[in-house]
Amino acid sequence: MASIELGDLERFVDGVAEPIELSGRALVVVRRGNAVHVLRDRCPHQGARLSDGHVTGYVPSCRPGADISIERPGEIIVCPWHGWEFDVRTGLSLCDPQHTRVRSYATRVENGRVLVEID
Amino acid sequence: MSSPAPNPSVPRANAAPFSLIDADVHNYPNSLADLMPFLPARWQAYAEQSGLQLPGVSLYPKVFAAAARRDAWPPSGGKPGSDPTFAAAQLLDEWSIDRAILNPLVAASAVHNIELGNALARAVNEWTAAHWLDADPRWRGAIAVNIRDPEGAAAEIRHWANDPRFVQVLLLARVHAPYGKRAFRPLLRAAAECDLPVGIHFGGGGDVPITACGWPSYYIEDHTTMTQAFETHVVSLVCEGVFCQLPDLRVVLIEGGFAWLPGLIWRLDKNWRGLRSEVPWLVKPPSDYIRTHFRSTTQPMEEPDDPQHLVQIIDMIGCDDFLMFATDYPHWDFDAPNRVLPAAVPEAMRCGIFSAHAEAFYGLD
Repeated sequence: MASIELGDLERFVDGVAEPIELSGRALVVVRRGNAVHVLRDRCPHQGARLSDGHVTGYVPSCRPGADISIERPGEIIVCPWHGWEFDVRTGLSLCDPQHTRVRSYATRVENGRVLVEID
Repeated sequence: MSSPAPNPSVPRANAAPFSLIDADVHNYPNSLADLMPFLPARWQAYAEQSGLQLPGVSLYPKVFAAAARRDAWPPSGGKPGSDPTFAAAQLLDEWSIDRAILNPLVAASAVHNIELGNALARAVNEWTAAHWLDADPRWRGAIAVNIRDPEGAAAEIRHWANDPRFVQVLLLARVHAPYGKRAFRPLLRAAAECDLPVGIHFGGGGDVPITACGWPSYYIEDHTTMTQAFETHVVSLVCEGVFCQLPDLRVVLIEGGFAWLPGLIWRLDKNWRGLRSEVPWLVKPPSDYIRTHFRSTTQPMEEPDDPQHLVQIIDMIGCDDFLMFATDYPHWDFDAPNRVLPAAVPEAMRCGIFSAHAEAFYGLD
């Protein structure tokens, strides 16, 4: 496992899915405030690039007819083809977290620099 | 919600072990302005004076704008499906697709003025020929028609019948009446006589609610219940005796799914045994007509939890060459060639679905 620097935190725009290539791997970077999340840039369903998708919030389950809210802005990435939703913090699918996930990579920000753990 | 396994036998680029035919792609004019050069002077003047817009049928907000993949907006700035060069690069080149059938979803039939609807259908076909078929030999076309005027639609079919680049007649699934009704017969007769399949495609609208029980609330219901319309047309075309009158007519169900077919076939055959005298022109079980005259495209692919169930469903349909691969590019429910079929699908079946069935059905060279 190696820590690889991705550059300044300010390089990444809040709420925008940015594609990068690292060690031959296509990854997508999503910044949320001072946190940065890195996932494999490939939807496990049919292979679309998640970086072509958009970043949004989580619509929690509620009773029929109740007010529908949206929470956790910037923490959900949506596949550009079939609309599958993934948690950018974990890569887990919102509908089927037991079986469907995008690989996620540990990150940290040190002195304003973004680092990702790549094996 | 299991995910289909990647299929290594159809790589994302090049080196596919067999040809690849896409039986459902959409080309869109950006606006009526794109069709104006192909409208007669009278309708150009009418459109300019009235501010006529391109007719379309969009009943619910879609998952994404223009119901398109978010990566399908061309750099040229137009709508998804409006730029032949970009579409060829993003679809045909990227996936090594040899031939693809264009189904232009311009709702000429949504116009109540019969003559204007006919003029729009002709303009769509002229535009498809000039901007798409002339641009790349891999494209094939579908003839847009105005179903409000079945005689006019028949004339439109005959007008294009000698252009081999047009390989089918395009109808939409949600319409005001089942296609077996006698009013539609001139259109179907023209298609059969011109040896052109009739494609019934997902979508449409018209003057009636979109489900058998009225209007649902959500797009997920709109999309899922589309199968009702397809079932209605299949049953109608069989029971009205269309194939008894037009034994050469072929119909392809486009984007309607296919997992519902076995149940429909069983139910219809069972009812025929008791109700045959109501439709005495049916001299064979309805399933026989269905297997002889109908085919279906694959997209949106059925994705059962157990991929083996997909193979079983195909087997239950009882027709070896029933399915033809389609992507539905540039729409959001696009099926990727290298992911669409799970590994459980045998190699011979895979080859047929990806190319051989469409080559035979459409007579593609």
